[in-house]
Amino acid sequence: MDLLAQVLINGVLLGGLYAVMALGLALVWGVLNIVNLAHGAFIMLGAYLAWHLYTYLGIDPFLGLPLTAIVMFCVGYMLQRGLLNLVVRAPMFNTLLITFGLEVVLTYLAQLAFSADFRTINPPYAGNSIALGPLVVPLARLMAFGVAVVLTVGVWLFLLHTKLGRAIRATAQNLVAARLYGVEPRHLYAVTFGIGIGLAGAAGCLYGTVSQINPYIGATLTAKCFAISIIGGLDNPLGVLVGGLVLGVIESLTVLYIGATFGDVASFGVLVLVLIVRPSGLLGKTA
Amino acid sequence: MACSILRTSGAVFFATAVTLFGAPAFAQDIVLGASVQLTGPVANTGRYYKDAYEFAVDKINAAGGVKVGDTRRKLVLKLYDNQSDVNLSVRQYTQLVSQDKVNLLLGPFASNFALADSAVSEKYQIPMVEGGGASDQIFARKFKYIFGTLAPASDYFASTIDMLKQLSPEPKTVALLYADDAFDVSVAKGTRPLLEKAGLKTVIDERYTSNASDFNSLLSQIKSADADAVLVAGHETEILNFVRQAKSLAVAPKMYSFTVGVPSADFRKALGKDADYAFGMTAWLPSASLKDRWFGDAVQFATAYKAKYGYDPDYHAASGAADVEALAQAMENAGSVDPQKVRDAIAKLNFPSLYGTIAFTEDGQINLAQTVIQVQADKVVAIFGGKGFVEKPKYPMPAWNAR
Amino acid sequence: MTALRLGFVIVVAAVLAALPLFGSDVIIQFGINALLLAVLAQSWNIIGGYTGYASFGNSVFYGLGSYGVAIAMVQWNLPFAVGMIFGVALAVVFAFLLGVPVLRLKGHYFAIATLGLAQVMSAIVSNVSVAGQNIGLVLPPLNNDRLFYELSLVLLIVATLTVFWLTRSRFGFGLIAIRENEEGAAVMGVNTTLYKVLAFALSGAITALAGGIHAYWITFLDPDSAFDISLNVKMIIMAVFGGPGTVFGPVLGAFVLSAISEILSSKVTNVAGLFFGVVVVAAVVLMPRGVADVVRQFRKSGWRYFAENLKAHRI
Repeated sequence: MDLLAQVLINGVLLGGLYAVMALGLALVWGVLNIVNLAHGAFIMLGAYLAWHLYTYLGIDPFLGLPLTAIVMFCVGYMLQRGLLNLVVRAPMFNTLLITFGLEVVLTYLAQLAFSADFRTINPPYAGNSIALGPLVVPLARLMAFGVAVVLTVGVWLFLLHTKLGRAIRATAQNLVAARLYGVEPRHLYAVTFGIGIGLAGAAGCLYGTVSQINPYIGATLTAKCFAISIIGGLDNPLGVLVGGLVLGVIESLTVLYIGATFGDVASFGVLVLVLIVRPSGLLGKTA
Repeated sequence: MACSILRTSGAVFFATAVTLFGAPAFAQDIVLGASVQLTGPVANTGRYYKDAYEFAVDKINAAGGVKVGDTRRKLVLKLYDNQSDVNLSVRQYTQLVSQDKVNLLLGPFASNFALADSAVSEKYQIPMVEGGGASDQIFARKFKYIFGTLAPASDYFASTIDMLKQLSPEPKTVALLYADDAFDVSVAKGTRPLLEKAGLKTVIDERYTSNASDFNSLLSQIKSADADAVLVAGHETEILNFVRQAKSLAVAPKMYSFTVGVPSADFRKALGKDADYAFGMTAWLPSASLKDRWFGDAVQFATAYKAKYGYDPDYHAASGAADVEALAQAMENAGSVDPQKVRDAIAKLNFPSLYGTIAFTEDGQINLAQTVIQVQADKVVAIFGGKGFVEKPKYPMPAWNAR
Repeated sequence: MTALRLGFVIVVAAVLAALPLFGSDVIIQFGINALLLAVLAQSWNIIGGYTGYASFGNSVFYGLGSYGVAIAMVQWNLPFAVGMIFGVALAVVFAFLLGVPVLRLKGHYFAIATLGLAQVMSAIVSNVSVAGQNIGLVLPPLNNDRLFYELSLVLLIVATLTVFWLTRSRFGFGLIAIRENEEGAAVMGVNTTLYKVLAFALSGAITALAGGIHAYWITFLDPDSAFDISLNVKMIIMAVFGGPGTVFGPVLGAFVLSAISEILSSKVTNVAGLFFGVVVVAAVVLMPRGVADVVRQFRKSGWRYFAENLKAHRI
């Protein structure tokens, strides 16, 4: 019984991390209709940024998180403005192709700049945990979970209650409608992509404190983020949170009851099931 | 329209054909060819081989090169980056042999690469000495041109299990975790009968997905099954995650041991103090008793290597350097660079090196015992080799909050 | 196709077929690889380019084809040809079993649903003892690259003829109708489910053959290398780069990209990947409809072609 409870705790905390990783991908996908294959690579860059801040300037990864997110926002804004805006009206495959190319470029640049060495962001409290009777709650994961909830709700409120957020939501429906908000579309696209990348950067900080970083983690993370976005749905950040939690819990339970090689199989099974039963995600509007 | 597209494709095909013809190296030099992982997910370990090959080649050249018959000839290294792609590495080895006309081959890193690439050396009958693939399968094919300087995968945990029997309090239960790739499955397969023979009870025997980043469920199971000893066969990335998550879940078995990572400087750097107490194994430690013709001994090799590349060499690097030495020695013994003659000379090799005595079995693999090592205060310490303890192990591992 | 064009196609095919007579070993190996990738891009073209369903599951067909050959040859001591048939059979069965539920999904959703298939198959195969579990299978080596080259070329010709047939047959028009407007196609009397599953199976069968040839050529396979999702990404990239939904685009895309990446990896070896990424990014910006379109239009509009593309797709 303790084991089951412990594994459930692990799953929920893992799910929080998953959610924050996928948040940016779902936003960009839902609003701009760009399936960003380089999303994982941006998480990787965020993690390296946080690592440098921590290692060379001694800035705690959780304090460095806003800074990382802002820097990554600027990177994303400029990328959309300077590059991706050039192809947004091209056929759907092309955005897939260009973000794939970006992923390759970022990965190789990271390898040249940071080498293939493994890095970890290891503040003294990273391994601490809170004991609840026989159960253990890892502190860093709990903090990451808290940040995930704050960010998700923050993005949700931003989209619902600010002028810019409403313009972004309108864009997701219809570009012409967005113009009614008086925001220039080129700027709007860039802001949206920037927010997506900024969230990836924030996720990178959290990822670096609980796992290890190397230039090649991107592709796997992108695949995971895909699954989460689909399970949760694209039109609501809260859906992504649910998607992350569902996936985290299911993976953990699968490892416990079926076997450690089946974690990914199970998450994919859920994905297909959701697709067939509710194609717009668990919290998505039914078509 | 079809016309012009086809014309373009034809032109592309032939343009490539022309570009791929490179200029051959100087006839006097002996060219050693290799394709290793300088980029891509395996680059972290692959680059050790580049450094080791270059280091050994430079050293041998500084000593006047290789004496073949009556002439002294320099070694030249022709190296490609296979981007961690097996198919590309096969093509690059073919290119090395048929286009660049290299004299002899050095191996890639990792068993799956060695498996595929050894087919090239076999086909062109050019001997390859590889120091990066330990899987028993590479040598089970009865190929005549492949030689390996890593100890067999199935024996990796043998010395560790011998040690378990002599620890006190003696561990009773064991958890065995392994990644789902050829090498680690070979390790697990070899380990199970050893555990049984040692009378240890295996409470968890679980395979996990390569590149897994989340070990929380498995760790909780280890804690719940109360395993005394945990043996993990995997990759360095997974092992880093495993140790960090063990700490955050406060899982502290009496000991844990890992097939890779522990000997490398990178591992200790990434984990800092948390690397302490981790057991591992290595077939090589820089010891002054390992005499070497070119480097003096293994300690001098390690010191010079660190001075040049800025990190401590582990067994991968030593194995790579030994590969170059094996080829050099074999050419001198054969008095020729003829691949056939060198191949026969390699099979008969028996000489002391910085890596240990280089002598190959009938199958072409080396036979070296694994020394158990442990990280103690940021240093790798030899704990158990052959029959008895070299140094006192830090055992049992204390709880994480009592360190 | 006029007689002149047909003649040209035959000449190019003949020159390619004769390449092993004067090409070096490296060229032949490069050729095998490029031809097999072209086959993969071409077979993906059937389901992705013509039917409009971006499949990420084609690497499963490739893996099944590889395992078909390996299991038949290693475990049952059957000849290579039987292995190829076995592989195709596995792929077709898989296409039908999975195609029926998954092809109901549209657009991105289909792509995502197929995205995990390779991983699932890899996990399943690593528990099947006849497939060698995680250790994989080692095939008997056959040192005859010329044979592999000619086999790959024949397969590419077959695949291209199949696609060519699609552009003139009722079946092909049905697929294009599905791509353009699926509801409309159904209204016009196209049995969309049947057509889609058949296209999926056709694409799968050709992919499986390529996998079979590759397995025998490389002599070793394990679940990770057989069910490799990055190979699937590669075939999409190549088809899209060349021009999806055209007869020769995917072939051209595969040749051009293989050539670029091969030259880079032998010339500038460790920054090859970086250049490759830059080429892909630049290609999307400058020629969004693929190389095939550049070849077609460039004569007409010259360098303005690129500027026009830029203007057409940016906001």
